[in-house]
Amino acid sequence: MGGAALLSGCGGGAPAPTVERAPGARATSPATTGPARSDLIRFAWWTDVGALTPFQVSTAGPGGAMLLSLVYDTLTWKDEKGVVPWLASEWTTAEDGRSYTFRMADGVSWHDGEPLTAQDAAFSFTYYATHPYRWMPTEVVESAEATGEREVRIQLKRPYAAFIGDIAGIVPIIPRHVWEDVADPVKYSGANASTGSGPYKFAAHNEAEGTYRLTANAEYWRGRPKVAEWRQFAVPAEARVAIVRQGEADLSLTTDASVRDLLADDARLKVFETAPLSLVRLVFNTDRPPFDRKEVRQAVAYALDRRRIAETITRGPAIVGSPGVIPPETPWHNPALRQYTLDAARAKELMGGRKYTVKLIADTEAREPDLMAPMLEAVGITLQVLRVDPPTRAQLLGEGAFQMALTAHIGVGGDPDYLRRWYAGEEANAFAQGSIFNNAEFDRLGEEQTTTLDPARRRSIVFKMQEILAEQLPTLVLYHRRFYWVYDPHAFTPMTTWGGVMNGIPFPNNKLALIGG
Amino acid sequence: MSGDVLRLAGRYAVLAAAVVLLNFFIPRLLPGDPLTFSSGEGLDASAPMSAAAKEQLRVYYHLDEPTSRQLLAYLGDLARGDLGWSIARPSSVGALIAARLWWTLGLLLVSLGVSLVVGVSLGLAAGRRPGRRGDRLLVSGMAALAAVPEFLVAIGLLAVFSTGLGWVPLLGGQTAFISYGGDASGLLSRTLDIVSRLTLPAATLVLVGAAGFVLVARDAAAGTQGAPWLIVARAKGLRERSIAVRHVLPNIAFPLTTYLALRLGALFGGALVVERVFSVPGLGLLAYQSIRARDYPVLQALFLLSGLGVLVANFGLELLYLRLDRRRGTSHA
Repeated sequence: MGGAALLSGCGGGAPAPTVERAPGARATSPATTGPARSDLIRFAWWTDVGALTPFQVSTAGPGGAMLLSLVYDTLTWKDEKGVVPWLASEWTTAEDGRSYTFRMADGVSWHDGEPLTAQDAAFSFTYYATHPYRWMPTEVVESAEATGEREVRIQLKRPYAAFIGDIAGIVPIIPRHVWEDVADPVKYSGANASTGSGPYKFAAHNEAEGTYRLTANAEYWRGRPKVAEWRQFAVPAEARVAIVRQGEADLSLTTDASVRDLLADDARLKVFETAPLSLVRLVFNTDRPPFDRKEVRQAVAYALDRRRIAETITRGPAIVGSPGVIPPETPWHNPALRQYTLDAARAKELMGGRKYTVKLIADTEAREPDLMAPMLEAVGITLQVLRVDPPTRAQLLGEGAFQMALTAHIGVGGDPDYLRRWYAGEEANAFAQGSIFNNAEFDRLGEEQTTTLDPARRRSIVFKMQEILAEQLPTLVLYHRRFYWVYDPHAFTPMTTWGGVMNGIPFPNNKLALIGG
Repeated sequence: MSGDVLRLAGRYAVLAAAVVLLNFFIPRLLPGDPLTFSSGEGLDASAPMSAAAKEQLRVYYHLDEPTSRQLLAYLGDLARGDLGWSIARPSSVGALIAARLWWTLGLLLVSLGVSLVVGVSLGLAAGRRPGRRGDRLLVSGMAALAAVPEFLVAIGLLAVFSTGLGWVPLLGGQTAFISYGGDASGLLSRTLDIVSRLTLPAATLVLVGAAGFVLVARDAAAGTQGAPWLIVARAKGLRERSIAVRHVLPNIAFPLTTYLALRLGALFGGALVVERVFSVPGLGLLAYQSIRARDYPVLQALFLLSGLGVLVANFGLELLYLRLDRRRGTSHA
């Protein structure tokens, strides 16, 4: 029973409002084979994600960067198997790894009809140097210039192996003719502010209600999008699945695996499971007792029944945390690591008969601490839980004012350079705060992989980094979480992206899924 | 008389200045800062915010400046009527508030009005014969209701009437993306849409709010039983309803207005909870989100608005007291 049905019920004599698509009614019938074609997707996200410009989009959660990717294009992109050419049809890397030359695709135009040129690409990187794209800083870029009609060369300050995937594949290319005269893009609100080159054009946004309307760009250079309109609106977590079931939305997500049982017999809706692209993990302060000792960190790992914790909280099959941090089912995961299966006797042995009382910092709603407390108590660790909200947690961790903290986040399925950045102190985001690990070998490998362009060699270095993490445990991943997307297959066909969309975002709406390959 | 009013106005001016200052400091006393950009929900920003980029933002939003300079800038902006620019959202604070003000005001005023009328009527009826079974039932029921937190009432209503019975939509506000005609019937449809979506949020506030009015009105009305003027009125053969409205009500106006003034302050807190649960795009939801984001400029403006709102309401009430006191021939120091 949806809102519109109720409305027409109490509307009495008044004509019913024009609902552009009534719940349940489908304007087009589903194709029997191949991806669905429809005129509308209504996506229930949790909040407004800001204005659709790279300078005003929200970076609290991945919703903003994802929506932006429908309006703007990047030099490269990712499909199911890996990085693919996008606005750049091909590229070459200089031998020293410090410069990239991109050849721009032909026949690309901006939503206002202006042609997209190498000048635009060069301008974008130059402009981002003073006005950063908050989702992906580009400090490693030294300069960018158009070296030909269709050619742009980007010079880096140092070789950077993650450049093609993480920067070229994430940073939106913006129109020079719109932005070159804008001095403060954070406050710019001109009618042309959301001019991109992507498959969808910006049509409307209501900031207070968190609603967006994007319409298909019929002249899109990669082909006309299959779905005519993308709508998005804000729905609180508790209501997201219910709203899809009520027919007011076609797509939404949850981390609660029980939705699979809930919808097992549903004739209309399906559930799409992503790879386990998130971490729920303990962060140890390795500068402070008792977690300055590796044995105590390992004792915690042996003492916790992480399988049971994961099953209890996700209400589905557990994916026990990889001790090397990088989740299974993602490209850089090392499956051959030391494992810590539940072994209370081993934990007690590692504790050497000592007893500790430790303080755990956790988010207000976190349920893991209640499950952990008795398991740790059994091996001599008494848990005191300090519950705080995310900004408080970030501050305490940033100041090193903690012994152990619980944190949950994504951003770990894409390029693995984040492992280096966390522990090299280069990251200042909420979940990298408190990453304390003094290990010279790890730091050396971290530096080595970031400049190693050969994929096979880089892979073996990243595998070694995971081995060190698994042995030393500066952080202990309790479990990895999948995201369960509830969707109406008549409206939308979900897609798996290699390592998650962009930097590991567990969304099924890679723009390739909306335009067809 | 004018001396009293001037003294009162002076006192409120000092309070208003204190509110302005407190608004600046309270958000900054919270741990954490506006550049954390954390969403909660385990989908935290995977954005690799570099330490250098964060520093750049700190400079852009003048968060690197000493507190005294930030305070002066805030006061200067305020004097010009500029509420500043949000850090978490790409918008001026004034525009953020303007887009939400009517949702919250509508919700609060309607629910306050309904709970006042319903609460006082029930209270008057119960206070007429205190101690009877109906009165005892009502008093204990209302006392229980007044003790239940808003979110519990809200979630209960949601579970029964929306997810359970499916009578009203899950979310407040208005149906997203409906286009209405510009004529009268379009306006009617839109109104009905909004009313259906605001029924539960308003009902929550009414249920919680009315209980207090019932208890206050009932106690005050019970206290008037046996008063000589009431006996005279009854002896004159006036009807009970007319006695209640014409005679009892004016005599219990004092405690009722006092309670009303106290409620005003609590109402904004209620809106915060109810708008969050029902996703009503009002100031309460904005406050909830801004606290989590530590969005100083928005928090300053919201605290200022609610603080000054309560001050103005109280000022009005005190003026009213002055008048009532004069009529009763007592003086208000």
